[in-house]
Amino acid sequence: MNLGFDSEQLRVLNWRATNRDIAAVVGPPGCGKTTVGSALAVKMIAETLATKVLLVAYTNAAANEFCLELCDILGSKVAKSLCLRTGNPTGVDPSIPIPFSRSANEIKEKRIIISTNLSLKKLPALSFDNMIIDEAGVERLEHLLWPFWFGVNKSQVEEYKSRYDTRGDGDGDGNTQIPFKINDLIELISQCGTVATVVGDPKQSRPISPMRVDYSAIEWVIKKSTCDTLRISHRLPDLLSGLVNEFAGYDGLRSAPEISSRRLVLECSPDIEYREIIQPDEVTTWVDINGEEQPIGPSSWANNMEAKACAKICSHLVRITRSKSIAIITRFKAQKLTIMRYLQRMGYRDIKVTTTTGALGTQADIVLFSLTRNNPERNVGAAGTLQDLNVAISRSKEKLIILGNFDMMSNGWSGGGGGASAGNKYQYKSSARKLARLIDLKYGRVVDAPQMIIC
Amino acid sequence: MGDLIVRDLYKTISHAQKTHLVQSKEIATSCVCPYLFKMSYPFGVVGGERDYVIANTVHDAISLASPTAILENWQQGKTQNDFERIAKSIDKDSEDILQKAIANSKSRVKMEGKTPLLETFDFEVQDRFHGLLIGLAKRVMKKYPQPKRAVTEITITNVAEVQEGRIDAIFEFKDDRYGLVEWKTNDVKRASGSGVDRWQLIANFLLTNYRYTGDENNWNRCLFGSVIYYEGAYFPRLPLSEEWLSKVKKDRKFAHEILCGERPHAQKPPFCPVCDRDGESRSDCRFYREDSKQALLGNLPVDYANIRRLLLRRRYLVLDERAETHKHKFVINTIIDRLGEANALQELEKTGVINSGYRIHSINANSVTLVKKYYNDDEATLTLLEPRKIVRIIGKEDNGIPLLACVNEKGFVREVDDTKLIVDFDGNTIAERAKTQLRNLPIIIIPDEINLTRRVLEPMHRFHRLAADIMLPPEFFLGVQNNESGF
Ligand code: SF4
Repeated sequence: MNLGFDSEQLRVLNWRATNRDIAAVVGPPGCGKTTVGSALAVKMIAETLATKVLLVAYTNAAANEFCLELCDILGSKVAKSLCLRTGNPTGVDPSIPIPFSRSANEIKEKRIIISTNLSLKKLPALSFDNMIIDEAGVERLEHLLWPFWFGVNKSQVEEYKSRYDTRGDGDGDGNTQIPFKINDLIELISQCGTVATVVGDPKQSRPISPMRVDYSAIEWVIKKSTCDTLRISHRLPDLLSGLVNEFAGYDGLRSAPEISSRRLVLECSPDIEYREIIQPDEVTTWVDINGEEQPIGPSSWANNMEAKACAKICSHLVRITRSKSIAIITRFKAQKLTIMRYLQRMGYRDIKVTTTTGALGTQADIVLFSLTRNNPERNVGAAGTLQDLNVAISRSKEKLIILGNFDMMSNGWSGGGGGASAGNKYQYKSSARKLARLIDLKYGRVVDAPQMIIC
Repeated sequence: MGDLIVRDLYKTISHAQKTHLVQSKEIATSCVCPYLFKMSYPFGVVGGERDYVIANTVHDAISLASPTAILENWQQGKTQNDFERIAKSIDKDSEDILQKAIANSKSRVKMEGKTPLLETFDFEVQDRFHGLLIGLAKRVMKKYPQPKRAVTEITITNVAEVQEGRIDAIFEFKDDRYGLVEWKTNDVKRASGSGVDRWQLIANFLLTNYRYTGDENNWNRCLFGSVIYYEGAYFPRLPLSEEWLSKVKKDRKFAHEILCGERPHAQKPPFCPVCDRDGESRSDCRFYREDSKQALLGNLPVDYANIRRLLLRRRYLVLDERAETHKHKFVINTIIDRLGEANALQELEKTGVINSGYRIHSINANSVTLVKKYYNDDEATLTLLEPRKIVRIIGKEDNGIPLLACVNEKGFVREVDDTKLIVDFDGNTIAERAKTQLRNLPIIIIPDEINLTRRVLEPMHRFHRLAADIMLPPEFFLGVQNNESGF
């Protein structure tokens, strides 16, 4: 099977199709995690390496992406006969040709089942001999354990247990009779027959304990199993893949040759005030803006000036790039809602505004990223986490515009419980510093916010 | 200043205590057997999948009939014929309600791909409904005059006592006293005066006292409480015995401590009345008791002990997360205590935690449209409401009823803008109920969550048992039937 996959994707496909264990595939932004996951499922069924494959994603949107990808690879007709989407019917994209069902009989008949993690519990008692789990968005270990449970091989477990029955010495000395050592949960799951490929990216995923410092789910799998990394991005042009590679430390992420030199093409030239910001040759532009941050709700932040500027830039972009997709990303829900409010008032209801969590798995031609935080203590807080910054800067195919106070970010602190002053021993230098430095010195340009967009 | 008080409180409140709330149902379970509660939390053992479609349908219907047909046909009969006549006239006036509830359940079963309902479904729903009405007429209506109001399916949260519960129905009488009613819809058996039904009723008494007096120990407004079952009712005599009340409070504390990750002493009942009819403990229970004992004695092999520890630690993290979902209620309650209700609501609104100033504009099949009574762009604070967010819609009642004890419904935000909010409910019944209970009241919106804790804990239970099955020789758990890892 070779349907235009790159060399790294082919390597991973061959490796995972022939190995029967639990392993991780790290997919940096744009490297085709969904494509590889879907292709792997198809390859295993096509080459009779597996009889029943489960494809699991955390969100309905990501599960729908798997379905679309399967339709692309197999063609609608074959995808219809081989695959089945199950779970919560309200989250299913009705335009996808793959049928939806929750009926046990239909699920048993099909070869590739696509579901979200949380809907798995409602599946009939089935066992899958292979599974592909998209880790994006998984913020709890338990969300990985459910799919793993569906891979446990009943007869394998029975066989292990029968060893005790035949031993019969009953000395209670605590020695296990299984012919291997189990050191951790992943090994236990693996020894019970679960074969799974977990695709994800530790540089984009959040920790699995929301209130504590912890591994992300993919890091947990990487730590306990084998792992390979994809390194060709089909989304990010050269200057962005370089920025993301250095910022997140991917160790060799590069753009696919056909998109490497891709730049924003405008239908007409921008108004003079926007010219520096929208400049197509500069893939990344940082708009230095000094808006005031405002606490909203239990822990969120908004920044009116930045929100207004985002909306204005967006409005101009819509006028000069009619066919381009635009997305606005921010770390904070309150800022997302503030930006949406401005856009709504300007009549733009369709522009995607999302938080970094919601941005996982999405992409757009042009991305605006509002940093939001701005305070004399230079406390960047959660806006300065590597994973969040990385997600935000790696969604764009042609142009990335960052809005925020450059001085604040290049000297920012994170940690220390939010409002702590400088010198707090729990504070550490925020990753925003590195991002600001890389953009300023190597991968982009910092421009002052023109008066026109901040008034 | 409000912003800071509220935000600081969000930061600091969990340091002072874990923001857990114990549900009345969970208190009742602990009262029956502390291990039964521990099976659910922290272990994540899920009981046999029982089908509650009939029970839920009857519940839906009777919750809508209570403030309408039941209230209107309330009569003090004397003979069996009278009770039959009263029940029949309520049946007649609720026909529409019952048919809608049946139709809703059928379409839900179809949509969720569940096993199709039996042909007798309609009959069973109607029969159970009728049986409950006979029970109500025979035992409650006979004794008490027609109430002036009925509120149904209301969630009451008493933060100070860390308790929350959903009350089936409260009848309010002219002399300002109330009668609490629980419907036993899951079968046609008697409600047990010694088991879970009694304890749940008592736990709910505490919440209802709180609703009407602000104090769970103030019984001045309480007229009666009853569990209505098929053609009968369980009526504990008031005042309730001190022994029962203190048991409920003690077991509430026990459940709370377990949720907080502490290790209160649990006493197994002398024989096991709940899990097995013959008094035998159930396998999962014996397993976990033995597992803890062997761990305490240091007898477990290191590899298994490590996996066990990991799975237990993760369970408590899941419980911590459950506590986080209740944090809003703790903050709201604390601010109200500090500033008084009116000021507190202003501060909470300014910070964007709650949203007030709405009134109900219209209620459709399964959604409600709320509009702002007054909107001023300059003064408006940003609302944190957004599509798919779960909210509690509270109808603010008068008479000093605490905010978190007022009538309310839970729903999902579908659409929101500066002046309008559309909330979807999980079914037509809730929308119908909202129409009766929330209309004409000032509306306050607070953030809420759905409780998925047991679903999240379950895989940990399964892998825990699997690990024991594979990694431990059977001698470890003599008497615990192995082969219980869920296959
Ligand atoms: S088996 Fe007995 S001790 Fe265990 S939960 Fe059931 S009633 Fe309680």
